[in-house]
Amino acid sequence: MNQPSCLEVRGVSKTFVEEGRRVHALDNISFAARPGEFLTIIGPSGSGKSTLFNLITGLAQPDSGEIVLECGAVRRRVGRAGYMPQRDLLLPWRTVLNNVILGPELDGRSRREARQRARELLPLFGLDGFENAFPDTLSGGMRQRAALLRTFLTDRDVLLLDEPFGALDALTRRELQRWLLDVWQQFRKTILFITHDVEEAVYLADRVLVFSARPGRIVKELVIDLPRPRQSLSRLAPDLRRLEGDLLSALEMGNGS
Amino acid sequence: MRLPGQSSRSMLPILSDLARVIMLALVAGGMFTFFAAGSLQLYQEARAVENLTFARVIPAPAEIVDAWHDHHDLLLEEHIPETLWETLAGLSMAVALGVSIAALMDFSRLLRWLIYPLLVVSQTIPIFAIAILLILIFGFGSGPKITVVVLFCFFPITLSTFSGLQTADPELLSLLRAMGASSRQIWFKARLPAAMPSFFAGLRIAATYSVVGAIFGEYVTAQRGLGVFLKRSYSSFRLDQAYLAILLTALLSMLLVLLVNLIERLALRWYYTTRRKSWRGPGIY
Repeated sequence: MNQPSCLEVRGVSKTFVEEGRRVHALDNISFAARPGEFLTIIGPSGSGKSTLFNLITGLAQPDSGEIVLECGAVRRRVGRAGYMPQRDLLLPWRTVLNNVILGPELDGRSRREARQRARELLPLFGLDGFENAFPDTLSGGMRQRAALLRTFLTDRDVLLLDEPFGALDALTRRELQRWLLDVWQQFRKTILFITHDVEEAVYLADRVLVFSARPGRIVKELVIDLPRPRQSLSRLAPDLRRLEGDLLSALEMGNGS
Repeated sequence: MRLPGQSSRSMLPILSDLARVIMLALVAGGMFTFFAAGSLQLYQEARAVENLTFARVIPAPAEIVDAWHDHHDLLLEEHIPETLWETLAGLSMAVALGVSIAALMDFSRLLRWLIYPLLVVSQTIPIFAIAILLILIFGFGSGPKITVVVLFCFFPITLSTFSGLQTADPELLSLLRAMGASSRQIWFKARLPAAMPSFFAGLRIAATYSVVGAIFGEYVTAQRGLGVFLKRSYSSFRLDQAYLAILLTALLSMLLVLLVNLIERLALRWYYTTRRKSWRGPGIY
């Protein structure tokens, strides 16, 4: 595999100690993402999904197994994947423009060029005219789009999105899902997307990984064969319901065992 | 309905409740006793002074205005500039010192352990005793006064900056780490900016203290400054002049606090864009 972007997780397990108790978070997780693939991960809370992201970003190390990013075993993994947590975590003292160029800035690249590129992308991210606004003056949806632009501008091939729309209202959420697919199709990034929402998992993904309750294991892998670009949710309804049914039964199995 | 055998177990909470109530009552009683005794003391001592009238202790506003007319050349040309210079020099040095100590304490737990007690002790030393030592070190110039201002002011700046540095959102810090930021980048791009609102809160307190610090230093010994003017006024029983000095001191302090507010408004534009609604204009609050 000599493709420009890939992510492979091989037999990763992780146990950590939390408040004096040993938590077995992940148990022998293996999967690979093709370049440009959209993978969603769904599972009950506490199934180690966020732990997996901490391992991929390099904030923590797996007890066993290995994680390959950018096609080659990377010893120092920190900063190799773009990461977006559920909370937007924009810096309140920076304007939108200065927030979204944080990635290139931390890499020591030219701020002026980064600003130039960011300005070109602002309309696509629905932030046109807000470049000098402070985050606290924006709506939740706009803040989330700004956080996403910041993640895209890190120029990493693999993006990890941890429930990015989890805190939004249903309407904004649907709008952002469609829009995310548009953006992803333009940039062709590999995306790993954690969600609690069955519909969201199916609608966005090429493939859904279903995690079991603690310790997290992959109990099902569901290929979503709906054509791209995806139509609106309402027109996809019958197909979606069928796939959601498959997914829900897998989730129930994973919870029960 | 209490079953037999349960009573002995439930006696303990009742006893500890009772002990707590008794202790609180004792503390409250003690406070009241001191309050009453203190008030009585003040009343008796004031009555013992002969011919105590309002006019003897508080001059009429017109007298203070007259004192200003008599002395404003000297005040504007000598005393106020000297006091202002000592205040601003001392306050700036206190900012540098306070932020540096806060950064050191933030940097390592061990340093925090070592520095914190020293900080508290530095505030328990009677400044008056130090002021005389300072004259032995720096002589009779502005040096001792500037040092007194620094001693007065660095403490609130240190504490508030330190607690501000600790407020940075842990999730934000781990996001930055996941993005590949170095510790230095994290400190300058996240922790320090997050500490700024607290820093300014401390600076505001320090600014209110600073003029008083300078006056205090001058009062011990000096050739120029509002403190000396105050001291000379008292020595010659010119209460109108003393009140003028007090008024000017208050005025200078207020102007300084306003200046700090102005700087804060300019520096923390982000902080005030969201809190604009609660902002009640350029006041001292």
